Amino acid sequence: MVPLVVTDVSTIPAEPPDDILYTHKVRLVDSLRVLWDHREIVYTLAERDFRAQYKQATLGIMWAVLSPVATLVIFVVVFSRVKGFGTDGIPAPLYFFVGIMCWSFFASSLGTGGNSLLTNKALLAKTQFPRECFPLETMLVNALNTVISFVPLTLLFVIFGRAPRIATVWVPLFMLIEVAFAAGLTLAISSLIIQMRDLQQVLPIIISLGIFMTPVIWPFSKIPSHFHIAGGTMVHGHWVGGITINLQVVYGFFNPLGPVITSVRQTMLLGHNPSWGPLAAAVVGAACYLVFGYKIFKRFEVNFADIA
Amino acid sequence: MPTLPDGSIVVEQVWKKFRSDKTVPLFYEQMARLRRNIVDRSAPDYRWVLKDVNFEVAPGESMALIGVNGSGKTTLLKILSQVTYQSAGRCTVRGRIGALLSVTSGLHPDLSGRENIFLYGAVLGMSRSDIRRKFDTIVEFAELSDAINRQVKFYSMGMQMRLGFSIAAFLEPDVLLVDEVLAVGDASFQQKCLQRIGEIVRDGTTLLYVSHDLASVEASCDRAVWLSDAMVRAAGPTKDVVTMYRTAVEQNSNLLNTKTGIVEVKKAEIRAVDGGMLRSESEVEVRLVLNAPEEAMATFFVGISQGTAFPMFVIDHTGTMPGGDFEVICRLGYLPLPKGHFSLWSAITGHPKGKKDPYLPWQPLISFEAFGPDRMEPPEGVMALSPVYVGADWKVG
Repeated sequence: MVPLVVTDVSTIPAEPPDDILYTHKVRLVDSLRVLWDHREIVYTLAERDFRAQYKQATLGIMWAVLSPVATLVIFVVVFSRVKGFGTDGIPAPLYFFVGIMCWSFFASSLGTGGNSLLTNKALLAKTQFPRECFPLETMLVNALNTVISFVPLTLLFVIFGRAPRIATVWVPLFMLIEVAFAAGLTLAISSLIIQMRDLQQVLPIIISLGIFMTPVIWPFSKIPSHFHIAGGTMVHGHWVGGITINLQVVYGFFNPLGPVITSVRQTMLLGHNPSWGPLAAAVVGAACYLVFGYKIFKRFEVNFADIA
Repeated sequence: MPTLPDGSIVVEQVWKKFRSDKTVPLFYEQMARLRRNIVDRSAPDYRWVLKDVNFEVAPGESMALIGVNGSGKTTLLKILSQVTYQSAGRCTVRGRIGALLSVTSGLHPDLSGRENIFLYGAVLGMSRSDIRRKFDTIVEFAELSDAINRQVKFYSMGMQMRLGFSIAAFLEPDVLLVDEVLAVGDASFQQKCLQRIGEIVRDGTTLLYVSHDLASVEASCDRAVWLSDAMVRAAGPTKDVVTMYRTAVEQNSNLLNTKTGIVEVKKAEIRAVDGGMLRSESEVEVRLVLNAPEEAMATFFVGISQGTAFPMFVIDHTGTMPGGDFEVICRLGYLPLPKGHFSLWSAITGHPKGKKDPYLPWQPLISFEAFGPDRMEPPEGVMALSPVYVGADWKVG
């Protein structure tokens, strides 16, 4: 039997010695392995949210179809009257819908995923699985909703008597870029929002601004691919020669969603090859967002349960 | 360091600090801290909720964490389950951890009981096939077979608790951390939970149990650690630690006459009628010397507790309370107490003119030692909380 040990409380110092202070080590590879071990939790939580989302709505899962269609109607009514934004000869509803699908996945991931740590406070403070399960789980729900909106997309193809082109096989790659970009940003934002609740108010504003900064309505080709910086000569109001930079590539790095949406349109609707330059920039950009976003998240996760 | 077997817990020099005010937005706090750092370096903006905590639990052992509210028990469990992280020191837990820090937080109100079993099971670390295998056992244990397809928001609190606990009860971890989750629920289900915890421990799971219910601590744990003001005060066999804790809590509450009501308590004592020690089975007398402002009808209560606020028994008497100084003598023909340290409680209720308060609020008046045989222990895993019938003879005047 263990003896009774009574501590002399007065021997305990006011502060811990420096050499035992806890440092939170961030190793992304290890974190990924742990996350993989807990993948069932991501599925289960996503299932929870997906079921709960439509549980008491009369139209139930129909809303996953109806809400993007409603957005589409608004877009077509409003923007088909605006001159100057060509749709590359594609029927406007199809052109817009592709953009809306890509955008709404991104926007809703950010919107719900960014707040996911707050909405799951109760679990966050009481259970022990990896914290990134929460943002990722909400992204999975949004991905499911997006997949469901393939139904109206198919209908649009039928209505306009078109078929997806062979080049559509590239689309999964583009989606991968988008998911990586969205995941990185969502992870970073969710870890910041829980510490600074002001961002919760700012986020919707940024998201609604984002749709205008992304080629959902306007064509990506509006961004100059040969932007002149120095040298060369001016001929008839245009620069010839000199140093130019491809702004599409620069844009693609910072907002991978631009090349993604354009490439989906180019391949699925027009059957062209995607423009590889901006797309490569998007791959690099999305990878950076993912790595840094995950790093930021892991860096801050020490405090989540204490401040939730 | 040799690798520890599954089911061991080692806590070495663990410290944890909390920010002083969690509701202040970070920005203002940062500004305030900056200002403090410049102006006044002495006031820290945090407090320690755990200081230099050390203990070890071997596989298959059961240990209790006891202490008053805010002494750091829950925080320690949260650190062990890696819900939060320590500020300094090292925590090692080997094997699969099952942490039951709250029974209902994992339940989603819009989902049915069935869906919630899969959800909460997964959240607690069970695989789907595991849950499917144990599904019927869980439902049966929770006594919810009729309501299992109903949405959880239509469950009563007790039903939610039963569902939550039942899922966790079939987790089969190497280390089970349980935090004060049996506080709700009816007595028979509490008993069932304790029995289940006992079974889990017998199957070789390490148990770390936090509770204010000292009877259940004594029933289910071999060892105990007493946390007080963020520090470990004592560790050792449950019985010794619990006794120390009880004594300290009573001394703390500063027994004699803390709250005065309308009636003033001048003296309170409990003594053997034969003038000797307070022995089990002896005839004893509770004597209260009181002062009341006016004559009135009143009900007198006397109760005896063992440390906590829950009396083991209460006896009452309704009669005329004289005005001015008076004495209440309550003679118990038979003292139904084993050896130990007890508190004498009292209250006087009635309808004082123009006031809502009772004449004397329910409070401990004195503590005393009873002498006699040790308390007889109930079988393992059973709480000894039974109503006691005590005959009494009253005289007021």
